[in-house]
Amino acid sequence: MNRRLIFNLTGAVLLVESAMMMISFVLSLALHSGDHWPILLSAGITLAFGGGFRLIHPATDYLRARDGFAVVALTWVLVSIFGALPFFLSGVTPNFFDAVFEAASGFTTTGATIFIDVESVPKGLLFWRSFTHWAGGMGVLVLSLAIMPRMGSRTIHLMRAESTGPSAEKLVPRMGNTARILYRIYLVLSVIMFFVLLACGLNWFDAIVHTFGAAGTGGFSNYADSVGHFSAPVQTLIGVFCMIFGVNFAMYYALIRRDFKAIWKNGEWKLYFAIILVATGLIALNIFPQCGRNLSQAIRLAYFQVSSIITTTGYATANFDLWPQLSRVILVLLMLIGSCAGSTAGGLKVTRVEILTKNMLRDIRRTVRPRSVNLIKLDGRTVEEETVSGVMGFFYAYMFVILLSAVLVSIDSFVRDVSFESCLTAVVATVSNIGPGLGEVGPMGSFAHFTNFSKAVLTLDMLVGRLELFPLLMLFSPDAWKK
Amino acid sequence: MNIIIVGNGKVGYTLAEYLSRQNHDVTIVDKDKNALTRATETLDVLCVRGNGGNVRSLIEAGAEKADVIIAVTANDELNMVCCLAAKQLGTRYSIARIRDPEYTESLTLLQEKLDIDQVINPERAAAQEISRLLRFPFAMNIESFAHGRVEMVEFLVTDQDDITGEPLSRLHARFPHVQFVAVQRHGEAVIPDGSFVIQMGDRLYVSGEHVAVTRFFKRMAKDTQPIRSAMLIGGGHISYYLAKQLVLLGLRIKLVEINREKCRHLSETLEDVIMICGDGTDREVLTDENMEENDALICLTDRDEENIVTGLYGVRMGVRKVVVKVNRLNTPEVLDELGLDNIVSPKISTANAILRSVRALSHSSSSRIQKVYGMLGGKAEAYEFTALAGSGFLNVPLARLKIKKGVLVCVLVRGRRVIIPFGGDHIEAGDTVILAGKAGSIEDLDDAFTGVEEST
Repeated sequence: MNRRLIFNLTGAVLLVESAMMMISFVLSLALHSGDHWPILLSAGITLAFGGGFRLIHPATDYLRARDGFAVVALTWVLVSIFGALPFFLSGVTPNFFDAVFEAASGFTTTGATIFIDVESVPKGLLFWRSFTHWAGGMGVLVLSLAIMPRMGSRTIHLMRAESTGPSAEKLVPRMGNTARILYRIYLVLSVIMFFVLLACGLNWFDAIVHTFGAAGTGGFSNYADSVGHFSAPVQTLIGVFCMIFGVNFAMYYALIRRDFKAIWKNGEWKLYFAIILVATGLIALNIFPQCGRNLSQAIRLAYFQVSSIITTTGYATANFDLWPQLSRVILVLLMLIGSCAGSTAGGLKVTRVEILTKNMLRDIRRTVRPRSVNLIKLDGRTVEEETVSGVMGFFYAYMFVILLSAVLVSIDSFVRDVSFESCLTAVVATVSNIGPGLGEVGPMGSFAHFTNFSKAVLTLDMLVGRLELFPLLMLFSPDAWKK
Repeated sequence: MNIIIVGNGKVGYTLAEYLSRQNHDVTIVDKDKNALTRATETLDVLCVRGNGGNVRSLIEAGAEKADVIIAVTANDELNMVCCLAAKQLGTRYSIARIRDPEYTESLTLLQEKLDIDQVINPERAAAQEISRLLRFPFAMNIESFAHGRVEMVEFLVTDQDDITGEPLSRLHARFPHVQFVAVQRHGEAVIPDGSFVIQMGDRLYVSGEHVAVTRFFKRMAKDTQPIRSAMLIGGGHISYYLAKQLVLLGLRIKLVEINREKCRHLSETLEDVIMICGDGTDREVLTDENMEENDALICLTDRDEENIVTGLYGVRMGVRKVVVKVNRLNTPEVLDELGLDNIVSPKISTANAILRSVRALSHSSSSRIQKVYGMLGGKAEAYEFTALAGSGFLNVPLARLKIKKGVLVCVLVRGRRVIIPFGGDHIEAGDTVILAGKAGSIEDLDDAFTGVEEST
C-alpha cells in the first residue's frame, strides 16, 4: 500500500475541513453565539494535522484501487474524529463518543442526534453540524477533488469509493472537472432552495440549516420539533426539495446539456417517483382516520414523511412512531430502499433494488424454462453478470452488517431496558443514514441513552453505510495492509 | 481539446496516456470490456463501450462536439467508417490508421471522399524512418525541419570524438554552423547552455543545414560514407515500402523471406530487388548471402525476439548499420546496452506521429506551430514556428530577449538562409523559428519569449 500517498491525500481533505471550520468560526463570531474559541481551536488543530499529512511526500502518485479505498475509509474516519472537536472542546458534549457520534452523523448525512435539547446548543455549533451534512452529502473527497488542483490521474478510485450506487461513472473525461460539475449543480440547487425558504419567511439561519439538512439529505434541524416547527406550505416545499436531492445528479447534468433523451431513457428516477407515489397513497389512506378524516392533511403528512425517509433525510413533521403498523412498516422498507444512485442519499439505492428484483424474477423464469437465456436489462442496456453478482453480494453484506450490529447494540439490554424495535431500527436508521427510527430513537427521541459501546457501533454503521460498506470493511481485512 | 480515440490497443492506449496527461479531454471507444476497464482505472479518461462505427456510440462519446477523432482499431475499414461517421456528426478533424497497401494506392481518392483529414500508415511511416536512418550510418535518429532545410541528428558521443571536455561556448566558435540542441545524460534530458561540457556516453542532438551537419561529422571523422547496400529480413508491409524507397535511392537490396508464396508476390511487385526465399534467422542463409558484406542489416520479421537475435548477430559480424523492429518492448534501454541502438517500433512511431499532429492542431489557432518533434524518447521536444508580424519579440537581438528558462532558440530559417543564432541575431517577421525545450515546456511563441530587457 502506498501509505505516504494515502496520508498525503487525507491531509488535503483535512485542510478542506479546517477551512469549513473557519467559516463556522466567522459565523459564530457574527452571531455572538459564544462558541467561537473552541471552533477556532478545532480549526487550528485540524489545520496542523492536515498540513502535517500534506508534507508527507509520496514516492510515486501511483494510486491502486485498494489505496483509493483506504484513502476514502481513512479520510472519513479522521474527518469524523476531527469534526467532533468543536462539540467536545466547547463542552457541549463532555463525552467524546457522543461528539464523534454527532460529527459522523453529520458527515454521513444521517442526522441522528445525541442532543436531547437541541435548541439550547449554541448557534455556531449548530451551523457546523449542518455544514458537515452539506459537505458529506456529495462527499468530502469529491469536494477536495473539485477544489484541489490535479490530484493525479488515478483518482477515479476515490470517486468510485465515495459516490453512491453500484457503478460510479464520470460525467466528463477529466475527474477534476466531473467533481466540479457535480458540486456546481449541488451548489446551485442549494442556493435556489435557500432563497425559496427565505422567500417563505424563514429567517436566514433557519433557512441555511434546513437547506444544508435537505441538500445533503441529512436531517439536522435547529428545532426540537424538526420541520414540524414551520407552516404547512414550507413543510411541503422542504419535502419537494428532499425529493429533488434524491435524484441522480447525472440527470441534472443531462438537463443542463438539454439531453432529454438520456433523461427519458433512465428508468431509475421514474421508479423512484413511482415508489414515492404509491407509498404516499398507502400511508395517507392508513393515517386518514388519525388525521381527523382530513384528506389533504393526511396526504401532506404522508408525502413529507415518505419523501424525507426515502431520501434518507430523516426530517419529521409528525411523530410517525405513533402511526398505524402498516405505515411504520412501509417507512422502514423505504429506509432500506433509499434513493437513486449518484445522489446525496443513503440506503440500498433504487437501481440495486431494481436489479435484485429483476434477478429474482429471472430465477423464477429459469425454473419454468430451464433452457431460456435471460439477461437483465436496465435502461435498454444489458447489465453485466459481474454487476448483478456484485449487487447481490452488496445486499447480503448490507443485511449482514445490520443484523450483526443489531446483536451488538442489543447487548445494551444488560444495563438498561431497550425494545426490539428500537434496537433494529436504530441500526437501520444509521446504516441507511436516515437518523430517526422507531420507538426510543423515533423522530421525537434521541440516541443519547445508548451505552458508549453501542454509540461506537452505530458510529461505525453510519460510516459503513455512507461509504457503501466495502471501503470501510476492507480496512478490517489483513490482506489490505500487506505490502 | 475534446479527443475521441476509437480502439484501445497499444497505439490507442499510448495516445490516451499522453493526451490526457497534456490536459486534453479524452474519450475512448472500444468493444472490449477488459481493455476499457484497464483504461478507466489507470488513466483520467472517459470510456464508452461500443462499436466505433456505430453512430450511437459515437454520439455517446461526444462526437458532435469533438475536436479530433483518432481511429486506430485493427480494422482499416472500420477506421474509415468511424472517421466518416464522426465527421458527419460534427467532429472537426479526423485521423485514421490505414495500413493495407491495397488501399494506399487509392488513398487520395478515399481520403477525399471519406473526408479523412489525415491518414497514418504505420508501416510506411516506419519505412520512412528507417530510410532516414540509413542516410547517416552512425546516427540514432534523424529528423528534418523547415521543409527539409534543417536537419537534426542524434548520435552517441564516443571517446574518439574531440568535442568532449570543452564548454559549448568554445565549441560554438569551432563549429559555428551547427547547433547543439539537446543532450541525454544518465537518462536525464538536458537543454545545454554555454557552460555545458559534453562527455563521452552522452546522446547528443545536433542541428543545422544538411551540408553543415555533414561537414561537422566529417571533421569529427565519423563514418559519413553513404549506405550502398542493405539486407532486409522478413517480407512484411514495412519491407515492401522500404525496399521500394531504397531502390529509388539507388541502393542494392536483398530481401530474405521464408514464405515462398510471399516471395513470389513481392518479386512480382518489387523491381530490382534480389528476393531470397529462406529463413532469415538461419546463420547459413545469412552467410551464403554474404550478410557481412552489406552496409546495412534491417530485421523486420513479425517476431521481436528473432529480430533482436539476428540484429545482435549482425552487430557482432561488423555490419555498419543494424536496424531492428521491436513492437512489444517497453524497455528500449536494455537493447541500447546490448549495442542495438537503432530500434524502430511502428506502433510507437504511429502514436508519435499522431501526437505531433494533435499538438500542432491544438496550437494552430494562436501561434502557427507547424511541427513538434519528440527528442530523447519524448523527454525533450523541438518546435517549429513561423514568426508573425506584430509580435513583441521581432527585431530585438536575442541577447536582450527574455527567454523562458530551459528553452533554446536553435535555428532560424530566413528565406533560403539557415542561421545558427547568436546573441546578436534577431528574429524577423516570416522567419521559421526552431526552438527546443523539455517536453511540454512551450505552448506558443509568446510563451517562450516572456519580454524584452531594457537596454542599459
